[in-house]
Amino acid sequence: MSCDEARLLIGADPLATTPALEEHLATCAACARFRDEMRSLDADIRRALERPPDIARLRSAGPPAWRQWALAASVALASFAVLAVWLLRPSDTLAHEVVAHVQEEPRSWLATQHVSAQGIAQALRGAGVALDVTSDRIRYAQSCWLRGHYVPHLVIQTARGPVTVLILRHEQVRARRTFHEAGMNGIIVPAEHGSIALLARGAGDLDDLAGQMQHQVHWLPDAP
Amino acid sequence: MRNSEPGSPVSSIGGGVPAADAPITRLLESMRPELLRFAHWLARDRSIAEDIVQEALLRAWRSRDALKDPGAARPWLLTIVRREHARLYERKRLELVSLDEALETQASPGFPEPGGELFALRDAIMRLPIQYREPLILQVVGGFSTEEIARELALSATAVLTRLFRARNKLRVICGLTAAPDAAAPESLS
Repeated sequence: MSCDEARLLIGADPLATTPALEEHLATCAACARFRDEMRSLDADIRRALERPPDIARLRSAGPPAWRQWALAASVALASFAVLAVWLLRPSDTLAHEVVAHVQEEPRSWLATQHVSAQGIAQALRGAGVALDVTSDRIRYAQSCWLRGHYVPHLVIQTARGPVTVLILRHEQVRARRTFHEAGMNGIIVPAEHGSIALLARGAGDLDDLAGQMQHQVHWLPDAP
Repeated sequence: MRNSEPGSPVSSIGGGVPAADAPITRLLESMRPELLRFAHWLARDRSIAEDIVQEALLRAWRSRDALKDPGAARPWLLTIVRREHARLYERKRLELVSLDEALETQASPGFPEPGGELFALRDAIMRLPIQYREPLILQVVGGFSTEEIARELALSATAVLTRLFRARNKLRVICGLTAAPDAAAPESLS
């Protein structure tokens, strides 16, 4: 087997192997190194493809300059907070993933304009829910990929500041549970179908909003 | 796109669920997220991906008797999705997503996204021309072998190897590695 043939096979499928390829690699350090590189790249490709593409998110405009500094500070603080609570991280995987997801979208907290009805409809698309919440309270609305499903990710303005709400049709919880991580307080409450997660930065009365959401989220029977 | 075929058991398609069809209904529903991810990477547009999956599930339901072995459901469904994707473009010649415009914002300094390298890689995969992206998605997301991809795309196995090699070679450069010399044989149809 020549180097060209070996590299074609490795490049096409870095995990595949044949006796002839192994024989070549045993005597060709350059091709062996090429395979190591391609296997590492392939692991990254597989990780990259674990979630659907984010074109919708990429289409949205980046934040204005002053917010970039606020964002950087928020990220730095959040990173410090993550480090601080690392040893106390919750064993609750769902709560942990909810927090991790919200950390991935720090600009969601910064929104000040209310979302249009069309924007809300897009965020709810395919989630099997309808909302009674008036749109002027919703400052952020996206349809996000979480645990194998698209879920509505909302930020609702309350008297005590913004609260993130994730409507989790496919996640069942038996009872209300609380969590504290990365500077955020959260609760997950059971709902008619699935559950609803709410998070606030710092202190905040989430139970009141949770109760409202349990009444204002309507679970549609025709859901994916 | 919603369909309301009477009597269809797939809840998102509509209709009642006869008890005998409950297992296939559950199977189709359980596969939906994975089919959607697969279709989304192929189509690069979520709305189109949802339409593709909806049509594919409907086709799968109609031809459910052809599925003798539930263990073979995954490649069967992925194949239906891929063909539905190809059929959609053949039929409608859909307006293409302006990917350059969509991705321009990524270059904005401070645009929040963790894992910069992975983000760049995801963009690079989205930017791959369909002839390279499709076999890569079939292989990595679908788990198809070279021979299965060749059969599905009506290409020779060598042509599939070449396309997969070139796809990864393009991604190598994005990740800061030197492109390997392209000594792949010219592609040929099967």
